[in-house]
Amino acid sequence: MSASVWPLVRLSLSRDRRSALSSTFGLAVGVASLVFFVSLGLGVGRVVREKVFPVDSSLVEVVPASFSLGLLGGGKLDDTAVARLEALPGVSRVFKKMNVRAPAVTIYRGDFFGRPLHMGLEVLAVGVEPDFVKRDVLMGEFVDPGPDKPIPALASTRLLEIYNKSFAPQRSLPQLSGQMLTGFVFPIDFNRSFVTATPPSASSIPAQAQLVGVSDRALLAGVTIPLDVARRLNRTANLDDVTFTAVTVQTADPSAVPLVVEAVKAMGLSVDDQERRMAENAGAAVAISTSSLALLSVLICVLAAFNIAHAFSAAVRAREKELGVMRAVGATRAALFRLVLAEALLLGLVGGLVGTLVALAAGLALDATATSLLPPFPFKPESWFLRPPWLLAGGVGLGVLAAAGGAFFPARRAAATDPARVLAG
Amino acid sequence: MIDAKGVCRVFDDGERGRLTVLDGATLQVADGEFVAVVGRSGSGKSTLLHVLGGLDTGYRGEVTVAGVRLDGLSDAALSRFRNETVGFVFQSFHLVSGVSALENVMLPARFAASPPADLEARARAALERVGLPSHAARSPGQLSGGERQRVAIARALFASPRLLLCDEPTGNLDAATADDIVALFKQLNASGLTIVAVTHEDRLRAAASRVLTLSGGRLS
Ligand SMILES: Nc1ncnc2c1ncn2[C@@H]1O[C@H](COP(=O)(O)OP(=O)(O)O)[C@@H](O)[C@H]1O
Ligand SMILES: [Mg+2]
Repeated sequence: MSASVWPLVRLSLSRDRRSALSSTFGLAVGVASLVFFVSLGLGVGRVVREKVFPVDSSLVEVVPASFSLGLLGGGKLDDTAVARLEALPGVSRVFKKMNVRAPAVTIYRGDFFGRPLHMGLEVLAVGVEPDFVKRDVLMGEFVDPGPDKPIPALASTRLLEIYNKSFAPQRSLPQLSGQMLTGFVFPIDFNRSFVTATPPSASSIPAQAQLVGVSDRALLAGVTIPLDVARRLNRTANLDDVTFTAVTVQTADPSAVPLVVEAVKAMGLSVDDQERRMAENAGAAVAISTSSLALLSVLICVLAAFNIAHAFSAAVRAREKELGVMRAVGATRAALFRLVLAEALLLGLVGGLVGTLVALAAGLALDATATSLLPPFPFKPESWFLRPPWLLAGGVGLGVLAAAGGAFFPARRAAATDPARVLAG
Repeated sequence: MIDAKGVCRVFDDGERGRLTVLDGATLQVADGEFVAVVGRSGSGKSTLLHVLGGLDTGYRGEVTVAGVRLDGLSDAALSRFRNETVGFVFQSFHLVSGVSALENVMLPARFAASPPADLEARARAALERVGLPSHAARSPGQLSGGERQRVAIARALFASPRLLLCDEPTGNLDAATADDIVALFKQLNASGLTIVAVTHEDRLRAAASRVLTLSGGRLS
């Protein structure tokens, strides 16, 4: 485009400010709603993915078959099965897990971070391999310290979040961080239950547990302890200490997961994809609502494009003589096409920029309002929005595209102006 | 300056069928001439000017203007020819409304292949040449009919064309103003500009160095 046409673009836009403003406004509304909703959808999607259901897509949770295959032993998760899982193509590591098969309770009576606390809780304990949770252990080694020593235990990140955002505020208990919890020692009695009758033969196994960190990979409603401790406790209680409760299979790549899942099923084992499904469902719900709102916004932009088409058609008709004169003084057909299109592109650029900025401002305002007005709740994010550069560029681009689309046919009509016809007489 | 041979222009005119407006018209104009073409309304005077100025392409015949063979030229080449070699003056001025006289005069530069750097100085000089040195900032709505036509002439002169094509340039003006405009044309012609004006008015006919009549699609 010859630079010298811009003065004409400016002139004709400033001559018809009302129409230019209404065209720009329509585009800005469409772009603003698109950027706003997509930004919100991405933000909420991130919260779901990273905080509510933090699923590692390269992991497969293998559990024994939910139905028994009889005495042939199919579907049993023992060392042989683990070895076979380890040998599957696409599998880079396996992590064994074993529940403490005896019931357990924790009875706490004492000072809890500055408040007196008295409560008893039924707890589940699961043993995992140290490497599985190594990155989250803040204190000591995650191994069996031997009897009579405190058992290293990990709590769930999500449990801590729920405690901090809903449990603690309701009971005016203090807010806790993973760091603060680390080192906290509490009693835990195995082979004892508040709910089921403990077999008379069994005697309770008292122990101490010490929190050594919080982990995404820890059991939500219970404590996560070293595998060897779980084995030892099962052995002490005369329970099964060879069959694993579950095995987490780490694949080299998430794309290997479907094949691994198939092989696992062929072995007579099952895959526990409850977490993954919940994450997928939640993610899909967010994606679906985001896309329908985005679609609606695109529709607004399409309407804005029609509005521009309408306004520009009228303008081209009204400026017929002017366009003819431009031809007479040397404008090519292409120059008139570009002139009209340039007017629209400028409106599109302004509309796109304004819309994007409005959406950003609205998002920031909402974030600020949510931070100050909404009470804390589990997984409450600092920001409900994600603002990747491509989204901002896309907002401006959509404005420009809609404007150009709307002005295309009017521009063609302008280019086709027959000067001999409009100038005669 | 102009060498047009056997120019035929036929319009497809809907229900009236084909309308032959120019039927083998031939015209030679030498450099520095002031030619008036007369003819009744509808005789094809405007059509002839559009052919000579490279605005119309639907004709048959050979047309050479200022050494440029126009028939068969591309849109880009014809546009460049209009931009650099000819200037048009119309009966109803056709100024761009809502923008200043100066901006109107500069219009050809907006479509020039290589616009001059001293745009504004040139536009002011053109306005001075037509006797409106102090009207640069006014918009067409703030000008009288005669002043508008002067601005239109300044626009036609802006790119220093070799040929001025005028389509009933005094048709919308009162007698006194029309006389002034004709005097301006004479002055421009005296300074070397070739002018072809179509008209049905006596005063332009009187000013011209040669008068041709367009009738039956031919010039005589
Ligand atoms: N684009 C066109 N389509 C159809 N008919 C046209 C067109 N332009 C001119 N005419 C017809 O050609 C004839 C000559 O027109 P014109 O050259 O404008 O005459 P003049 O300028 O002498 O009055 C008229 O009858 C007019 O209606
Ligand atoms: Mg005419």
